[in-house]
Amino acid sequence: MPLIDPTIVDLSRLQFALTALYHFIFVPLTLGMTILLAAMETTYVITGKQVYKDMTQFWGKLFGINFAIGVATGLTMEFEFGTNWSMFSHFVGDVFGTPLAIEGLMAFFMESTFIGLMFFGWDRLSRPAHLAVTYLVALASNLSALWILIANGFMQDPEGASFNPDTMRMQFNSFVQLVFSPDAQAKFVHTSIAGFVAGAMFIMGISAYYLLTNRHKEFAARSIRMAAVFGLISTLAVVTLGDALGRLDDLLQPTKIAAIEGLWHTTTSPSAPWLVAALPNDKTQSNSLEIGIPYVLTPLITHTFDKPIPGLIDLESAAGPHILNGIKAINALQQYGTTHDAASLATFQQYENDMGYGFLAQQNAPNQDLNAITPAEMPTVVQQTEQETIPNVFVTFWAFRIMMFLGFYFIGLFAFVAFFSLKNQLESHKFLLRLCVYSIPGPILASEFGWITAEAGRQPWSVYGWLPTFQAASSHNVGYMVFSLIGFALLYSLFIAAELYLMFKFARLGPQSHDHAAPVAGTGASPMFAKPGFAAKSWE
Amino acid sequence: MKTFAKFLGLAVVLFVAIALAVLCGDYGPWYFAWLVGTTMIILIAVAGGVLFETQLETLKNGG
Repeated sequence: MPLIDPTIVDLSRLQFALTALYHFIFVPLTLGMTILLAAMETTYVITGKQVYKDMTQFWGKLFGINFAIGVATGLTMEFEFGTNWSMFSHFVGDVFGTPLAIEGLMAFFMESTFIGLMFFGWDRLSRPAHLAVTYLVALASNLSALWILIANGFMQDPEGASFNPDTMRMQFNSFVQLVFSPDAQAKFVHTSIAGFVAGAMFIMGISAYYLLTNRHKEFAARSIRMAAVFGLISTLAVVTLGDALGRLDDLLQPTKIAAIEGLWHTTTSPSAPWLVAALPNDKTQSNSLEIGIPYVLTPLITHTFDKPIPGLIDLESAAGPHILNGIKAINALQQYGTTHDAASLATFQQYENDMGYGFLAQQNAPNQDLNAITPAEMPTVVQQTEQETIPNVFVTFWAFRIMMFLGFYFIGLFAFVAFFSLKNQLESHKFLLRLCVYSIPGPILASEFGWITAEAGRQPWSVYGWLPTFQAASSHNVGYMVFSLIGFALLYSLFIAAELYLMFKFARLGPQSHDHAAPVAGTGASPMFAKPGFAAKSWE
Repeated sequence: MKTFAKFLGLAVVLFVAIALAVLCGDYGPWYFAWLVGTTMIILIAVAGGVLFETQLETLKNGG
């Protein structure tokens, strides 16, 4: 039986991708809505108007539904590291487990405690105390995300740990390095604020629905104003931070950035075009139907006008020496594992930094044994492994573009809605309001495609440069994997159905205190809403 | 005494804020950017809400 069964690896990857993508339907809303709830409650405390308390409570109820179901979907992933990725857990568990454990404490202790206080403390806490609790919920939900993204940052750029040949796993060197890794930082900021966009779009879309159906207008007009302003600034921040993340990828993961840009050959001129669209072909290693904008790619990626960007074909060739060194490292490590002699250790340490490439070559070695490669077979093994050092370009290229195009669409949408809200002309733009309703899933989709870009682009590594994905999986049989995959798909689909049912139900019901067009205490029966066709009237 | 306690409390908050800014600024510039940026986003969204009330008042008063 071979050490590595590609079907099991693919099924394990599919299962993790499925559960992660399902989970991430809920996460962005949690990240964004908690912050927006804090903003709404702050407005309530500043203005003293009841409508802002109603807003916080109503959107808080929808947030509560999302949070309850979202937490459940996240639990399974931590167990999957043990069940489906046991080699990964063995290899980096010492490092990876720490942020996951802290995340558990943040998510389940801090967040859950303060959520309880937020929901049930309205009549028991003073206004400032309740506001502080809401801020703590917002902080805790984002801190939970922080630790997950620190763990993911380690997979993208393994800082703060080194390989121990005696224990055969990565061990912690520096907690500070792990936490302050540039990749973890940029990823957290980008992902967290992408959640803000999702929360803003959710509130804006449902508020637009109320305006379209002439219900809860006072409530909806205020909600849409705050959500649009909040969403516009957040989207601008996400795009800027995405550029920072791309800059880091250029420095740390050149294969990912080349795949994102569909770049097969190294650029030498600042005139290299940025591809708006193309059909990358991974087999022929070329693009067809390219539509590009010249002079954009080099400054966009390198922030210079003259630095070349390595192409995938050149990156493949450049991997050759690393693969040869990696094979030497693994052979020396195996020798050291048996004899514990100083010479093997010295040889291993000489090639240690390329160890991951040795693991990568293992699936191309005869009987998956690197020691069995004859000198005559070596060039073939190296060549085959070179081709496996780059990610799937078609998937990475398009996942990135879908995310990016959606991001720019959100800027436009939030800008128009904020503008017309400020001019009090929103209701006369029915098309824009409809667009808001249809765009509710947009930021969640963009986040999903962002994750696909990040994870597909990191392949073939689970820990970049150290552990290939196929080496990280557990040994199972296909039947077990298919059974659990179907089980997860059914269970998670039920969760989604429950979420959608509850969200639709409570969103349709709307804030109860605003039914029957009754004026809300503290808001007054505003003339703006009393007059027919008020929205068409300009503030001027 | 109460004023002094308030002053002391605010001084502690200020010290923590400066320490956080220095530490984050040196080791975690993006974390610092998140702290400042999120605060700004919240404040601007709140300003949007407060402006709505001001506009409403102006309209009520026949402005």
